[in-house]
Amino acid sequence: MIRLENVTKSYSEEVTALRDTSFEVAKGEFVFLVGPSGSGKSTLLRLLNRQERPEEGAVWVAGRNIVDMPANRVPMLRRNIGNVFQDYKLLLNKTVFENVAFALEVIGRPKHVITQQVPAVLELVGLAGKEDRFPHQLSGGEQQRVSVARAFVNRPLILIADEPTGNLDPATGEGIMRLLDRINATGTTVVMATHDQRIVDSMRKRVIQLDRGTIVRDQARGVYQ
Amino acid sequence: MISRIAYVLRETAASFRRNLTLTAAAVITAAVSLLIFGLTLIIQHGFDNLLAQWEGGVEMIVHVNAGAGDAQRAVIEEALVQQEGITIESWRYCDVTCSLVDADRLLAGDPTTRQLLTAENITTQYKVVPMDATQVDILRGLRDRYLGLPNVNTVQLAEEQLDLISELQGFVSTYTTGLWIALMAAASLLIWNTIRTAMFARRREIEVMKLVGATDWFIRLPFMLEGLLHGLIGGVLASGALWFINDRWTAGVQGFPDNSGMTALVVVDGYQWQVALIILVFGSIVGTVGSGTAASRFLDV
Repeated sequence: MIRLENVTKSYSEEVTALRDTSFEVAKGEFVFLVGPSGSGKSTLLRLLNRQERPEEGAVWVAGRNIVDMPANRVPMLRRNIGNVFQDYKLLLNKTVFENVAFALEVIGRPKHVITQQVPAVLELVGLAGKEDRFPHQLSGGEQQRVSVARAFVNRPLILIADEPTGNLDPATGEGIMRLLDRINATGTTVVMATHDQRIVDSMRKRVIQLDRGTIVRDQARGVYQ
Repeated sequence: MISRIAYVLRETAASFRRNLTLTAAAVITAAVSLLIFGLTLIIQHGFDNLLAQWEGGVEMIVHVNAGAGDAQRAVIEEALVQQEGITIESWRYCDVTCSLVDADRLLAGDPTTRQLLTAENITTQYKVVPMDATQVDILRGLRDRYLGLPNVNTVQLAEEQLDLISELQGFVSTYTTGLWIALMAAASLLIWNTIRTAMFARRREIEVMKLVGATDWFIRLPFMLEGLLHGLIGGVLASGALWFINDRWTAGVQGFPDNSGMTALVVVDGYQWQVALIILVFGSIVGTVGSGTAASRFLDV
């Protein structure tokens, strides 16, 4: 599903985010990216949805090298990749329903599909009955669930999560992880960057550890350290 | 498709509401600049009316008494033919129909006088193109000679009317063109800035849209539509104002003396509707270009 081949990404001559990085993620896998701040985790995630392009190497997603993908094809790529962020990135002037529906609306899904899929995904993330609430009327955990629902409503092949539990208390974070695990169980590949040792240790999924832009560990059913 | 159109219209309307003061400024600037653009076209057309009878290098017009038949005119034509290749390059006869058309344009602002002219009483014309228009003395000599011919009512020289009007036309044209270009640039920049502000206000939405796979065109479209509407609304306001000004001017010219030379300087032949259409199209283009460049430039907010 995902393959990086000798990827190098620099932001300047002094700052190299990734150095000659290679790894592969199979369809339906759940992978944690761990490592200290500045180790290259977020850059790696941004390479997967073509928010960034590497100087060297190839990034294969769903069978296509996306490094040289024409700009007009990138939206199609992104429709197959859901994104969850630490700060949720919800639209504050829209309700829960509208936030999730927005992801379908802007890619041209018809109204009957929206009215069918949005309630279903809100049910999945445990937000049934809260469709009409605005983000400021929700807890942090609920806001992150909305973010997950928005990322998953289009049934993407890959879900990218960048520190999704970073702003949440441990109990709420566990709830989000159970949700991501359920999504992963539907066949969606999940790649998640995190600093949360407790979560990584409890999930026992594949762990890729980065340090200063280099993979220093790639362990199946791994732990944080 | 319907949901996309609904989305674009809804977002455009929302953006209008959010940026009301900036939108008003952009629309008013566009309206003023389009009004001056329209006035330039109308004034040019008025001057064209005024100079209509002198088109094609005509420097002298020999007016023939109404009712003069072919035999009476043969004397005049013989005199013209004698000078062909010497002082006259070419000449043509403007018959009753042709002379009435000229009168329509020359007396556009004076319908009362125009109504007095009929096929029976209008003078017909010989329009003369000289070999060398700068040889004023030769033209004056020809005028004096033709004035003595039978059935010649009067002889007009362009130098008496044309030079002053041409100079005035050039002056007005230069300054109004400069003014509307400057104002149009200001309107375009204001629209550009309004769209930039709108995009900045919605940067989070744009970021989310890009991440979920919306195409750049889909993101740009509401902003471009907003700019188009700025230009279009400005064009509608300018067209209304132009119609009002032209109407007042036309009414005012009717009160001028017949010999004031201003009776042709009005536009009443439907040209103002053409100008209104040009203004609407031009306003829409300027608005779309201004907003389109901003929407492309600031898509990566």
